Amino acid sequence: MQYQTFLSRRYLKRRWAPWAATVAVALGVFSLISVLAVMEGFKLEMKERIRGSLSHLVVKGSAMRLLVGEDPLLQAARQTEGVEAASPFIETLAIYKSTVLDYCILRGIDPSTEPEVSDFDLYLLSDDEIEQLQADPFRMLPEDRPPPDPQRVADVFSLERRRQMLRWNLRGDAGVGFAEEAPPQGLVVGIEALRSGRVALGDIVQLSTYSPVSYEPRIGKFIVVGAFQSGVYEQDQRWAYSDIRALQQLLDLWDEEAQDMRITGISLRLADYSQASQIKDQIHQEISRRMDLDPTEEDAIPWRSLEIKTWENQRENLLQAVEIEKRIIAAMMLLIVAFAAAMIFLILMLLVIEKNRDLGVLRALGATRSGVVRLVLKQGMFLCITGAAIGLFGGWLLTENINEIHESIYRATGLRLFPPDIYYLEQIPAHLRWQDMVLVCAPTLIFGFFGSLLPALWAGRRDPIKALHHE
Amino acid sequence: MNDLQPALPVLSARDLCREFSLPGDRSLEVLRHLDLDIHEAEMVAIVGLSGVGKSTLLHCLGLLDTPSSGQITYRSGGQTWQSPGLSEPQRCGLRNQFIGFVFQFFHLLSDLDVLENVMLPAIVGTPKSDWKQRKPQIEAKARTLLETVGLAGREEQAPGTLSGGERQRVAIARALINNPRLLLCDEPTGNLDSSTSEKIHTLLRQLHEDLGTSILVVTHDPDLASRADRRLAMVDGRFEKSADHPSD
Repeated sequence: MQYQTFLSRRYLKRRWAPWAATVAVALGVFSLISVLAVMEGFKLEMKERIRGSLSHLVVKGSAMRLLVGEDPLLQAARQTEGVEAASPFIETLAIYKSTVLDYCILRGIDPSTEPEVSDFDLYLLSDDEIEQLQADPFRMLPEDRPPPDPQRVADVFSLERRRQMLRWNLRGDAGVGFAEEAPPQGLVVGIEALRSGRVALGDIVQLSTYSPVSYEPRIGKFIVVGAFQSGVYEQDQRWAYSDIRALQQLLDLWDEEAQDMRITGISLRLADYSQASQIKDQIHQEISRRMDLDPTEEDAIPWRSLEIKTWENQRENLLQAVEIEKRIIAAMMLLIVAFAAAMIFLILMLLVIEKNRDLGVLRALGATRSGVVRLVLKQGMFLCITGAAIGLFGGWLLTENINEIHESIYRATGLRLFPPDIYYLEQIPAHLRWQDMVLVCAPTLIFGFFGSLLPALWAGRRDPIKALHHE
Repeated sequence: MNDLQPALPVLSARDLCREFSLPGDRSLEVLRHLDLDIHEAEMVAIVGLSGVGKSTLLHCLGLLDTPSSGQITYRSGGQTWQSPGLSEPQRCGLRNQFIGFVFQFFHLLSDLDVLENVMLPAIVGTPKSDWKQRKPQIEAKARTLLETVGLAGREEQAPGTLSGGERQRVAIARALINNPRLLLCDEPTGNLDSSTSEKIHTLLRQLHEDLGTSILVVTHDPDLASRADRRLAMVDGRFEKSADHPSD
């Protein structure tokens, strides 16, 4: 045992004040670890939900000219190695009138192929689920839902379903202007649009939009045939889905030159998302090659400008905002750790003043200057490491049991710290990453080291003769 | 040098000067060209009024202070060390192994018990790798020394619970734990009553005779000085020529 260890143990064993610094470090690390774990959990949960409603990759045309050549585009994408599925889509903005004037992002999808590229079939709600979710705003979908059935997507937009909803709509009122034989096109809205009362299942909604090609105003009537819950509030409030063919008609997307319907783009699902960057390049090359072909050739795709984006590129701003928010909070909370390091500094300075004579005695007994420096440094680092370890363990414990603790607080006080209707979460997601642990512990130890180093150097510079004369 | 040549002193100081700078380009010469030899198993007392430089001399000889000029030679087991010319680890090593300190105010560490205080120089001087192996020997030696100074059974006590005389006896045991060749005592009875001082005088003399450790004691106490083999009187940074040299 080195004398530094021996004396450090004795000094720390017989004093409580130095442990205040350990408590401060522990609290700082605990807070940082807990906050970062919850923020990371939220981020992952949000990413998962956004990813579920988007496909891995989208190939999009320009806003004005869109893309033409749906079949060769899909063919080019599907032939690319690593692409599992492809589906066309149209995206536009529409205004509708309900209790108030509101807007939605209207997506036209191919009901038969959309489930292959996104989790839309997973998010699509049954009538019973819609009823339950509307009845209780705090209610979430149960964990043990039946597995998604892609056929349900085709069914919800089917003629039969539209007729069924029209019959329901027509109860006691025949003035909607539609015969049961020719019901309006189906519209699937987000659960939050239903919950807010702006629209209801079976409602006939008039959507106003503009053709992206001719800029002519377009008005179409749709019947609400279903609802989805993606778990992303904005999407569940603003997004609406219809059949791509109906939307192509409404927006008048016929391209005279290519003698084909335009589409906004195609969605792709990849076998391995980590390969997205390479696959993006390959698809771009293949489509460009086909666009350069003679228009009379079978594989040719009419030339249009395009861009290919991953789902993360599409929601880049949102994801970056969350990441930046996490970093800002971490940086601000590091101040707590810096404060704890300042406490270590002050406590060690006081200890050096108090133990000035002991340090002089030690020098007289043969301790070197560097030995005295190490003695003080060791105490500071011991306080800091102990605090960091306790804080880390406490943070881990909280992260592992956060929902039980949250439930206990709710039972005891009736207060919901994370209301499910706002966060869409029945449980608080917390995910502790080793990178975050390093991010917290490394600055803590660095601050602690410098907080200890200054008093240690000061102790090493004390004159042993003066110290020995002090009584 | 080796043990077969006893004529060579354990410590030799030659032409030792110590000057302190004062504000305004002035200086204070505390030690003036001092020469001193301390031989094996010799007890030397330095007496003098306050401020004549006794403690400064002790600090220089104990390697706590650096003389402005002059040379100090330490000899032990055939080895010789000369100051100046010693590195910081060498100076610390000599303070730990060659020299034992006894202070006027005892300077025991209040956070350690009596036994730990006695063991402290050995703990400082033992490398981490040897600690487990040497700990039982060090502890046994500390207990023996406490028994020698009459404090057997007080090992677990805090220094604060001891009387002044007992504390000084603990300090003497601490100074002897590493078998130093030279014991430097700075007013060892300066803070004790006459009866306790008497006991400390007897103890120092007895240890000196039993262990053969050379002792240099700085004191105001004529009784303690009279027990030394040699008495040097210090005036204005020099030894007085009329000093009593009973051993010569």
